[in-house]
Amino acid sequence: MLRFVARRFASLLAVLLAVTALAFGAMNVLGDPLFNVVGFIASVDCDAVEAGLVEDVSGQTAGGRGDCEVIAEARREHHLDRALPVRYGYWLSDIVRGDFGTSFKNELPVSDVLRDKLPKSLLLMGVAQAIAVGVAVPWAVAAAYRAHRSFDRASTVGSFGLLAVPNFALGVILFYLFVVRWQVFDSRYDDTDLASRLRSMVLPGLTLGLPAAAVYQRLLRTDLLTTMQEDFVHMARAKGMSDRWIMFRHVLRPSLFSMVTVFGLSTAGMIGGSLVAEQIFTIPGIGRALVEAVIRDDFPIVLGGVVVVATGFVVVNFVVDLLYSLIDPRVRADD
Amino acid sequence: MAAGTRLRMPIFTRLCVVWLAVIVLGAVLADFVPGLQDPNHQGFLFGTSKTNDAPSWAHLLGTDNNSRDILARIVYGGRVSLVVAATAVATGTVFGMLFGCFVGYVRGKADAVVMSTVDVILAFPGLVLLLTVVTLLGRRDLVVIAAVVGFLSIPPYTRVARAQALAVSRREFVLAAEAIGTKKRTILFREVIPNCLPGCMGYALVNAAVIILLEGALAFLGLSVQPPTASWGNMVNAARVDIQINFWPVVWPSLALVFTVFSLNNVGDFIRRSRAVRSAAL
Repeated sequence: MLRFVARRFASLLAVLLAVTALAFGAMNVLGDPLFNVVGFIASVDCDAVEAGLVEDVSGQTAGGRGDCEVIAEARREHHLDRALPVRYGYWLSDIVRGDFGTSFKNELPVSDVLRDKLPKSLLLMGVAQAIAVGVAVPWAVAAAYRAHRSFDRASTVGSFGLLAVPNFALGVILFYLFVVRWQVFDSRYDDTDLASRLRSMVLPGLTLGLPAAAVYQRLLRTDLLTTMQEDFVHMARAKGMSDRWIMFRHVLRPSLFSMVTVFGLSTAGMIGGSLVAEQIFTIPGIGRALVEAVIRDDFPIVLGGVVVVATGFVVVNFVVDLLYSLIDPRVRADD
Repeated sequence: MAAGTRLRMPIFTRLCVVWLAVIVLGAVLADFVPGLQDPNHQGFLFGTSKTNDAPSWAHLLGTDNNSRDILARIVYGGRVSLVVAATAVATGTVFGMLFGCFVGYVRGKADAVVMSTVDVILAFPGLVLLLTVVTLLGRRDLVVIAAVVGFLSIPPYTRVARAQALAVSRREFVLAAEAIGTKKRTILFREVIPNCLPGCMGYALVNAAVIILLEGALAFLGLSVQPPTASWGNMVNAARVDIQINFWPVVWPSLALVFTVFSLNNVGDFIRRSRAVRSAAL
């Protein structure tokens, strides 16, 4: 087991290296590296300023530094005259130490911004997954218990229908029903204490959780039906145990494998969905910060956000992999 | 394959095909549909229609908050979804299937390199990756969006095609071709790729649905094609502001998306099942 974990961990590190390299590389090949660190003043023509052809306007304000000084300093600090792989090395050693650069918007360190936003997004993910599992398990058990009957058929159509609803439409419709029409929830994110935070997370959690619940329900139902054919289930039934006891104590646990596997994959959908849900329900999380940074071309935030999100996603899948091998030892043997 | 072994298409799936045909024809022929209004015509400027108007004979689905005809915007908005989905499917099938079938058939080092690249690209959640690349390119018109979506479709198709190719290359006809000394390249193009094609097609429809939802989310965030060009996602986003006044401008484009995605999933699922029956009948 230890060797298995060690090998998986090594591959996790390799993937993380590749992921950060790709993010940094894309940022600097598709975008302008100087712009990425200093923002709009990157367009100042410093050669012309030095030659005295153009005045450095910002340098004249009371004691302020000239744009060209800022640019020259950024070039030094970020080693912009070095080759891309070298710069990646410097950048990587910076972010490992928690230095993601400075936001263009308010000059705050990106790491502070991320540290402020990350817990909210994580809470949202947690609530959404809890809702997804909480809805999917009873739904699947009820559907499998009376398979191919009217409830099961209706829930098949229902889950396919739910999968076809775009998360932004679901979010807007939930917002309309529960906030605008029935006024059950506030339209603003309430950050006073955990209870109010959780309350603010109900609707966005449903937005992300319901489509995931549909996926889980499909998989779990199929697995439950397979397990219900097993001898030990017939045995339990022959012993006269109640159906409820059999479904939850004997059938459910061995049927959870597929659901655990897609747990990691569904996280990707939820991360994408959280960009949308945080926008609709005004949650100040990573997703919203990322979208706002994209609109403002605030590249340090974009890069930091993308790296954090991708890292989180990779780590979740790593943990799911480990969990899966704990539940099912055959996975280790296959590897 | 004899026609008799084909799975009969259920009436519901036929309806889905009809809906998809209507959407495609509508998008292609939108300029020639009689009575369909200009999707960017703001009637209130000329006193001919009101903003957020209820459905009427003049505007079958009502008007949006700029007094534009919602039906026309949905028909034209379908263009964006379809162009993006079609590009994704075309690029994904051509390149993804080439790469995937190639590495799935030859295995070895090429396989390891291509698949680890694919894994790294797929390590980014789709919407985040799309958002970032579109931002970096700095332009948000249909060509750029479609190109980026097309490029990002290659990895998932590669993975699907590789899985197919792995299974196909163990089949007897491939072994037989190898035994009689057929060149590898010939086997790849004459035996492996044609046999991976049906599986990839089933995936293509499901993937088109995923892509349409992805573009919708991007448009909803205001980062896809820019207004006034209609797309289903940006219609929902624009209507969101006035949701207290009128709920329906949110519902119509959402329904268009739901029907389209549902139909693509349903038809894709049907193709997959009918293929399973056919391979069982072999």
